[in-house]
Amino acid sequence: MLNPKTIDDASIDQRVYQLNLGPQHPSTHGVMHLLVTLDGEVVLKVEPVIGYSHRGHEKMAENRTYEQFLPNPARMDYLSGMIFNHGYCMAVEKLCGIEVPRRAEYIRVITSELNRIASHFIGAMDYAMGLGAITPFLWGWDDREHILDLLEGITSYGRFGGVRNDITREFYDGTRRFIDRLRGRFWDYENLINQNIIFIKRSQDVGVITKEVALDYGVTGPTLRGSGVGYDVRKREPYSAYPEFTFEIPTREAGDCLARYQVRMAEMEQSLNIIEQALDHLPPGPIRAKVPRFVTPPEGDCYCAFESARGAVGFYIVSDGSRIPYRIKVRAPSFSNLFVLTEICPGHFLADVIAIFGSIDVTVPEIDR
Amino acid sequence: MNITQLPYLKDIYAFLGSDVMSGMVGLLIIAAIVPLNVAFLVLVERKVAGHIQLRPGPMEVGPHGILQTLIDAVKLLGKEMVTPQSTDKLIFFLAPIIVVAPAFVGFVPIPFSPMMQVKDVNVGILLIFAFSSISVISILMAGWSSNNKYSLIGAVRSVAQNVAYEIPLLLATMSVIIMTNTFKMGEIVQAQSSVWFIFYQPLAAMIFFIATTAETNRAPFDLVEAESELVSGFHTEYTGMRFSLFFLAEYTNMVIAAAMFTVLFLGGWYGPLFPGMIWFLIKTYFLIFVVMWARWTYPRIRFDQLMNFAWKVLIPFALVNLLLTAIVLKVV
Amino acid sequence: MNTPPSTFTQYLTEILTGSKSLVVGLWITLKRLFTRIVTVQYPRQKLTMTPNFRGHIEAIRFDDTKTHHCVACGLCARICPSHVIKVQGGKARAGALKYGHHYYIDFSKCSLCGLCVDFCPKQTLKFSNEYELVFYSRWDTVIDIMSRLEKSR
Repeated sequence: MLNPKTIDDASIDQRVYQLNLGPQHPSTHGVMHLLVTLDGEVVLKVEPVIGYSHRGHEKMAENRTYEQFLPNPARMDYLSGMIFNHGYCMAVEKLCGIEVPRRAEYIRVITSELNRIASHFIGAMDYAMGLGAITPFLWGWDDREHILDLLEGITSYGRFGGVRNDITREFYDGTRRFIDRLRGRFWDYENLINQNIIFIKRSQDVGVITKEVALDYGVTGPTLRGSGVGYDVRKREPYSAYPEFTFEIPTREAGDCLARYQVRMAEMEQSLNIIEQALDHLPPGPIRAKVPRFVTPPEGDCYCAFESARGAVGFYIVSDGSRIPYRIKVRAPSFSNLFVLTEICPGHFLADVIAIFGSIDVTVPEIDR
Repeated sequence: MNITQLPYLKDIYAFLGSDVMSGMVGLLIIAAIVPLNVAFLVLVERKVAGHIQLRPGPMEVGPHGILQTLIDAVKLLGKEMVTPQSTDKLIFFLAPIIVVAPAFVGFVPIPFSPMMQVKDVNVGILLIFAFSSISVISILMAGWSSNNKYSLIGAVRSVAQNVAYEIPLLLATMSVIIMTNTFKMGEIVQAQSSVWFIFYQPLAAMIFFIATTAETNRAPFDLVEAESELVSGFHTEYTGMRFSLFFLAEYTNMVIAAAMFTVLFLGGWYGPLFPGMIWFLIKTYFLIFVVMWARWTYPRIRFDQLMNFAWKVLIPFALVNLLLTAIVLKVV
Repeated sequence: MNTPPSTFTQYLTEILTGSKSLVVGLWITLKRLFTRIVTVQYPRQKLTMTPNFRGHIEAIRFDDTKTHHCVACGLCARICPSHVIKVQGGKARAGALKYGHHYYIDFSKCSLCGLCVDFCPKQTLKFSNEYELVFYSRWDTVIDIMSRLEKSR
């Protein structure tokens, strides 16, 4: 038939063919398989195939105590590991009714925001690399190294009831230096990428997600905020120490790739503001509450939502009164964000599919857990 | 006994001084210089890329990585030349050869200095253009015979891109040629003895530079070998020495393009202190550095935008430039 | 897709602003070309790790007994999520405290959670600063903590 829309409508000598942007590919963010049906260069249908990185985290949760499960959330989305750790500890504390001291909350917020900046560097610069600009990607990794050095000085997996290590003098000075240094770098990234005519031409009006489509598919995070909906779990359902800080939620109306990229860069600046406020008003006190050695929540369930770098994450914990959880279910934002591709890609070129996929900023192991 | 009394000696001396002999010696020199050139350029590219990205590039092999390309060549020679089973064998075999041969021929009319030119061909510029068009078909051959969807997409894009960008290239060159009235490269350089043509024709120089970046498939026009989309474009299925022939051809084309820009716009071998050939090489390598610098700065242009840019921006500007040049030459 | 410029002035302004942005981009890359590289060339230059760096665990040497305080209770082995610790010990005589003789950790599966360090009732474990860990076979990743403590005497 003329102008076939699917591969089944095409006869043997027509131009519709299927291309595997296969599991191993230089620009998919993990092991992701996209089956693309093309007519010449125009995409007709995109079908993501997931499951290549399934490791069974939720099944592991049924066989380990609450403390033993602590390494696992950080491995689900390895780019925002400390944010997931913060969220899991928060979920268990909500279930048990443990009160966390204020200093520990501030430290958790500082590490989470540092991790958010680090993750946004990869997310935004990976999009630029998918378009072909390799240099800002490497500059982003250099800036990330400073964050990772800082986090290395303080980190451990947070424990229930607080954090494990306190802030040292070097961490404090290093973070101050880092904030000043990063604020000077934004001009470089802005002028090399944002204002560049080639970048603008390739990102503007490409992959437009309208508000209705985004809300239908359950998209959250910078992908949603780039389409004009100002939904951020830190503002709508405040948790931890976030009500005490003043920050904005950047949104853009356009809904295309350029808008999402700009939202990510603006969020990095807001995170710097939060870290500065937290360092200025750091309260003294203990860093860990008294919790029993093996945490035993009462019977029941609880759902705890928080905002990772990719969107709204939810931990739903069902407990049966013993030391081992009955079920932990994780709502991963990349899972909902990914399937928007099937709606917006048809009609674009093949080069745009890579760009759109990069701008949605998916971490594949988070989809498969 | 003098020389004219020995018939055979006279013939031998005539043969040694003839054009055939000088042509053969010239080709041998080219065949020796071109791989050295490529080796040097590959290293420069990796070092420039490294320093722009705040890292040192190759450092291990030799002091500061100078011997890196040599070791790469040894490695590529040692690799197995895999031929996939379902390819079109003859075309698969011929494609790398056809892509390299015009690159060698393109060095013939280039005047490195008043003395050093293999042959000052009457239609020197046209010779280079004609031979660089032959390499387009070799890319299509490589893409088709690989029996691989990625390669085919890359090859088809490359043919369209090359054909489209030849037109502004030729129009910009014509603007210079109607000023000098000759196609011989040596005479074009001599016509710039007082003022270089880049000052007379800045717009044509810009168009020529952009068009040659597109012709040699370098960034930002490199979606033929776009790493993040098509893995490696039309040379995905080539391994070992065949892959290195494609590589050689790309860098040699870059040198020929930079040399043509130098001859047409930057005054060839003219310069204050040093002998002519040193200036020619300085100018050529500076242009190659600018091309590499642009590669690591810009993202890639999408295919339809690339064609839009050629047909809607470059060609009108080149035509207007040609018209203005003709009017000024007639009036002045 | 992008809407093409509809008037001639739009076309020209697009070309001019585009060219300016391209030149600014080149200037930024040129500046970075001449800054110092940030790579630390590993075998010749090394970084110092922070004190909080988490390498594999090792035993602390206490001043009163000049050796570790491990009593081979096995809490660390039971709490470990990846089951990599193996402890054995014995009593010197009846009525004395147990003393840990053998302590092996299979580092290839350790997830560096630190639960063993936290749960030890005698606080006898800590993180080391080892990051140059290269082995020739999988079985070499088993680290014997007691002999490491002896060797560091």
